[in-house]
Amino acid sequence: MDFIDYYKVLGVDKSASTEDIKRAYRKLARKYHPDLNPNDKDAELNFKKVNEANEVLSDPDKRKKYDQYGKDWQHAEEFEKAKRSRAQRPQGDYSGYTYSHSEGSAQDFSDFFESMFGGATGFGNRGQKVRYRGQDYHAELHLSLMDVYTTQKQTLTVNGKNIRLSIPAGIEDGQTIKINGHGGPGIEGGPAGDLYITFSITNNTDFKRDGADLYKNVQIPLVKAVLGGEIVVETLTGKVKLKVAPGTDNGTKVKLKGKGFPKYKKEGQFGDLILTYSVNVPKNLTPEQRSLFEALEKTNLT
Amino acid sequence: MAQENYISIKTFCEHHGVQESFVFSMQEFELLRVDHVEEEAFIPMEELPILEKMVRLHRELDINPEGIQAVYHLLEQVQNLQQEVASLRKKLDRLG
Repeated sequence: MDFIDYYKVLGVDKSASTEDIKRAYRKLARKYHPDLNPNDKDAELNFKKVNEANEVLSDPDKRKKYDQYGKDWQHAEEFEKAKRSRAQRPQGDYSGYTYSHSEGSAQDFSDFFESMFGGATGFGNRGQKVRYRGQDYHAELHLSLMDVYTTQKQTLTVNGKNIRLSIPAGIEDGQTIKINGHGGPGIEGGPAGDLYITFSITNNTDFKRDGADLYKNVQIPLVKAVLGGEIVVETLTGKVKLKVAPGTDNGTKVKLKGKGFPKYKKEGQFGDLILTYSVNVPKNLTPEQRSLFEALEKTNLT
Repeated sequence: MAQENYISIKTFCEHHGVQESFVFSMQEFELLRVDHVEEEAFIPMEELPILEKMVRLHRELDINPEGIQAVYHLLEQVQNLQQEVASLRKKLDRLG
């Protein structure tokens, strides 16, 4: 765990007045505020850093403690001992900003902060304080492409509550669904917040996906491209036999209707599978094959 | 009107410590829907997240109502662009 220089985070020097700190904080908060930086994880982390620095430096008691501690940090034998006895944290390659709390909450503090000020509880004046409507929760769900080929029912546990969730087939990577009323509780009769689940879908198949359409490159032998013939191609649901027309060009596209991915929230409808043929030019010819090609060449084939 | 689906502007402002005029200027800028029943003005519950976001921008970042209107429209553009980038990325990925 590294020391965090809160003065540096806010870009002020050690003699900065409370006013200077407030001004520096506001300036940086306007830059990194999550409401102004949707879906930006870097901004979110920076906002947490700036908030934490402000939490410490804007509070005279905490600032005093931090200043003292900062001085001792270079030869902090005693502190290290105290820290070891206080918490049995896993020792390892900790950087200063390791957040051990649940993701997505503006209430997170670094381990450095917690080791010094003892946890985040009791500081309510930052982040998104609940005044009436409950807090929104954000969660991420990791699935594989084949998981979302069919509609799935899953039970998720979010903050101790079980939520039965139906994940429609064909959901997109990065898509977010909102579940009304499953966020934090409201206060004084206010409604609960909402739960947002973002899907992160890993595609470990040979197919590229764009919406409900799938794409794949298929190699065909040179002779089949010239003379035509049959090939066997893997689709998501099994093998299919295809006729290759005589004189098929490299890069020819073939569309297999309905062999793509399910369309989101359109039950029974599927996208297409688009194959791109790539003609395989043989490299290691036997002497016999080579002489056949040479014979072809003499026919002035173009 | 079902009581639980609305919150009066007065109650909202008490909870959040903002002036009622702030809420009305959000309505005036067409960022917020406000319904009236007799004399009193109510905010539909589904408008709460966006209004709370505006209150945060106002209180935490000192942004005035005019600034919030500008922010609101820029954020819409940012979100549309993010969606477009995501869909272009997917297209790029299948070509690559």
